[in-house]
Amino acid sequence: MAKDVLDIKAESAVMDTDKMWIIMGPQHPFSHGLWTLKIQVDGEIVKDAEPIVGYLHRGWEKEAEARSYPKIIPMADRLCYAASMTYTHLFCMTVEKALDIDVPEKAKYIRIVADEICRIQSHLMWLAAVGTDLGNFTVFLWCMREREFFMDLNVRLCGARMTTNYPRIGGVRNDTTELFDRDVMRCVERFEKVLMDDIVTLIDDSSVFVSRMKGVGYLTREQTVNLGITGPAMRGAGVDFDIRRDDPYDNYDKIDFDVPVMTQGDSYSRYQVRIEEMLQSCKIIRQAVQKVKALGKNAPYRLKVPSNVPAGRSTVRLEDPRGESLMYLISDGTDKPYRLKVRSPIFTNVSAAKPLVQGCRIADVPVVMAMIDMCLGETDR
Amino acid sequence: MVYSSILDWIHFPDVMSNMYYPFDVYNLPYDISYKLWELLGGTIAWLINLLLPGNPVSTWLICDEVVNMFALIIFMIVIFLVVFIATLISLWEERKVLGRLMDRRGTMIGMKGFLQCVADGLKTFMKENTMPKKVDKMTYMWTLSLVIGTSVLIACMIPLSQRWFVVDYSTGLLIIMALFALAPFFILVSGWGQNNKYSLIGGMRAAELMISYEVPILIMIATTALMAGSFNIGDIVNAQFNSTWYFIPQIVGFITFFFCATAESERTPFDIAEAEAELVEGWQTEYAGMKWGLIMLGDYFRGYVACAMITIMYLGGWLLPWDPLQINTYLPELTFLIKTWFVFFMMIILRGAIARVRPDQILNIGWKVFMPLSVVNLAIVLMLKIGGVY
Amino acid sequence: MVMEFLKKYPYDENIPRRTLWIMKPFVVVSKLFVKAVIHRDVAILYPYEDLWMPDNYRGRPGLRFEKCISCGICVRMCPTSCIELVEVLDDAGNTVKRPQINLGRCAFCGYCAEYCPVDAMTVTPEKELAEYTREDLIYGPRRLACDKINKNMEVHLEETLMSDIKNGNSERRVNAFMTDRPILDSSKCISCKKCEKVCPVKAIKMIEHGVNAKGRPILWPEINKDICVCCHNCVDDCPKSALHMDEVL
Repeated sequence: MAKDVLDIKAESAVMDTDKMWIIMGPQHPFSHGLWTLKIQVDGEIVKDAEPIVGYLHRGWEKEAEARSYPKIIPMADRLCYAASMTYTHLFCMTVEKALDIDVPEKAKYIRIVADEICRIQSHLMWLAAVGTDLGNFTVFLWCMREREFFMDLNVRLCGARMTTNYPRIGGVRNDTTELFDRDVMRCVERFEKVLMDDIVTLIDDSSVFVSRMKGVGYLTREQTVNLGITGPAMRGAGVDFDIRRDDPYDNYDKIDFDVPVMTQGDSYSRYQVRIEEMLQSCKIIRQAVQKVKALGKNAPYRLKVPSNVPAGRSTVRLEDPRGESLMYLISDGTDKPYRLKVRSPIFTNVSAAKPLVQGCRIADVPVVMAMIDMCLGETDR
Repeated sequence: MVYSSILDWIHFPDVMSNMYYPFDVYNLPYDISYKLWELLGGTIAWLINLLLPGNPVSTWLICDEVVNMFALIIFMIVIFLVVFIATLISLWEERKVLGRLMDRRGTMIGMKGFLQCVADGLKTFMKENTMPKKVDKMTYMWTLSLVIGTSVLIACMIPLSQRWFVVDYSTGLLIIMALFALAPFFILVSGWGQNNKYSLIGGMRAAELMISYEVPILIMIATTALMAGSFNIGDIVNAQFNSTWYFIPQIVGFITFFFCATAESERTPFDIAEAEAELVEGWQTEYAGMKWGLIMLGDYFRGYVACAMITIMYLGGWLLPWDPLQINTYLPELTFLIKTWFVFFMMIILRGAIARVRPDQILNIGWKVFMPLSVVNLAIVLMLKIGGVY
Repeated sequence: MVMEFLKKYPYDENIPRRTLWIMKPFVVVSKLFVKAVIHRDVAILYPYEDLWMPDNYRGRPGLRFEKCISCGICVRMCPTSCIELVEVLDDAGNTVKRPQINLGRCAFCGYCAEYCPVDAMTVTPEKELAEYTREDLIYGPRRLACDKINKNMEVHLEETLMSDIKNGNSERRVNAFMTDRPILDSSKCISCKKCEKVCPVKAIKMIEHGVNAKGRPILWPEINKDICVCCHNCVDDCPKSALHMDEVL
């Protein structure tokens, strides 16, 4: 009898179980947007993964070649609906660099405020998505509630909630509206309190949330660098780099803030980096609003720029909520770009799907992939 | 016998005096259905007799055997309707409470949102009844029917009071538990039969969940039975009325059973079998329209059963220890339902507060936490029993 | 500078210690439940209630019929080319050209309001635009009117010239349409009078500058810089590209 048992045991050690490809397809609830993650599973353990993107390809870059520069700004909004402000900002900065003009101080600070509002908003959206990926709808709705206040700030600032169309080549669309600084201060104050008291308590004081995120989706520092991952996903793995601090644009160098870096490299550390980034954004907003106020009401905020851009090339990168986004512009002296290339952080980050989910369980796949914060508009362009 | 007026047809005799009365003790729903048939059948018989005086059908309609037969049919409907409405109310409660704790309103359509359940039910019935081509039709349909059937069956088998029951077994709790534990088998088979990878994984997960949570639940049921000295639900409730509610001595068991029952009815923190984040809809993926609606209803029936079991075993069932308004005499059913809804409220809060647990964590918790805790609970009860406290 | 969150919740390698620690979320959730029961929740019952929207909210574009000069800048600037000029009768019975917007294609960017030189186009807070057919989404000039339009809904294009900043006069705001003026390269002009026809504000007058070899009069446009609104129509329509816009920077 005992011999039989041993035999079965020995056999099971070499037993070759069939692996199964599961296609978490474009309409799967975990893929926030249209993309596919093919995973190969052995039982519940993921052995291999392959992301497929491109379902949302709209020919953005080609379309931009047929438009004059100001008309590309509303299109840049649509690159990523959660981070519309940063992409328009990036496009405007690229053209400004090609035109070689210096934007007024006030516009720079207003852009910082707008960018950080956008960052908080985008991170809140990500946190909401993490909540649903983990099966908790409360986090989703609380985050959406908080996001709503920042949407309202957007409305106060420029009149639109999501596709803001706010930065312009040479400045911003309009001056800050009346009482905007008061609204920002109140909103930020409230947000810091709610985030720390409610949302974070719900997540970080709950062992279920923490144990779901901790210890899954490890990436080492070397892997992160080799895969070209940027943004909070990179800072969660111990790479201390933030374009806002290390290659400052638009007066970020005159603002005092910290860049959170975690060295563990798992899902939870990426989560922590993002939450801390939101709180740092609040600090940035406070300082920038003070600076805007100090510049006075009559300071210039928008320059008149020529409609034709001289021939040349310009590259600008910026710290998107999701990572490092970059635009490369070749202009040919007319009022339309010859070529406009967008480097989207998510397109690179999603290529890390295989090392991220290898060895996880199926149940971990949503939460691991949530930590790169998919946005398909910019990925497929 | 000569029948002259309608009152001769409808005379409301005492149910217990009927020689075919199917129960040993007084049964309220049976009484209600008996009287309902008296009213209905008597009127029909009277009308027929008016047209055709002295016909045999009229007398047949109100003879003891036939009245019993029709009363039993109405009895089934009454029992089911009450459970059905109680379940719909718990569904409505979940939507409203979950809405409030997420800072939104919940459903708003009709009667404070209660009619939304009805609307949803009608909607799923209107939907196209599709069946994928490559499924194993036999398992696909049969397992579904069995899952829903067992869920409804146990929901109906829960007695609401000493006088509101279907059968009064001496092993009532065990039978409910046995039927309760049957569904995961069907889910497993259904997962195999659907020709879908998500369903397959969902079915496997349901099976592993069932295996790991059955054991502590059974240990705790045995503990309660040991404390009350019987598996009969009425005896357990009466024993709690005579001493204290069992959640006081068995606080460990109460908490453990609460979580285990949540897991067993596959509600959100433990719904790994239909984890929508990774397994689209788990084992229900291929069921569309009305079938899916019925599965959801079955889920809520199971949630209701889990709450009812907690109420029976730990919260004193349908009896209140302090009873100045004579509720124990007149409306014990309402007490029972309110307690059940309160337990369901706790489950909703649990659903709102914590996230879904990973399958391996669930197994770990089941075997390494809940299992020892249930044994600890058993040991405490044994000590109390030996010490003569209970 | 301190990191508030990372200080409060440092990364802790020990998961198992708090495996059953779920009480705090329970408390937080119950707190909100009680709060939402006692007070009202933040959710807004949309069809019955509505969010307050500031005047600068970018809903559908609105048009003030009388103010419009049919210059066509909105048509030129629209990124989705959903605006076209159509002929309508004005109050006096004359045929005039006014913008018509296909809201099915509108991106709500607000460019038409922003670039309108006379602020005839505005943004309006109207956002309930659902219709049964796509044709219903085409808003004609009369339908674009909005009775709620007020001063705050105008979007002004206020720019600062770089030369002004250099001169220390940075508080001066200019409108691009008030500075840029078309310039004639008279050697290319063929006296076709097209610019005179397309000018919406009649700022162009053809002035005779002698006669050519064939004895025909040489007509060069002269631009009245005070009424010109810099609409680019003359520049765009010039068959010989004799006109170009002089951008003041």
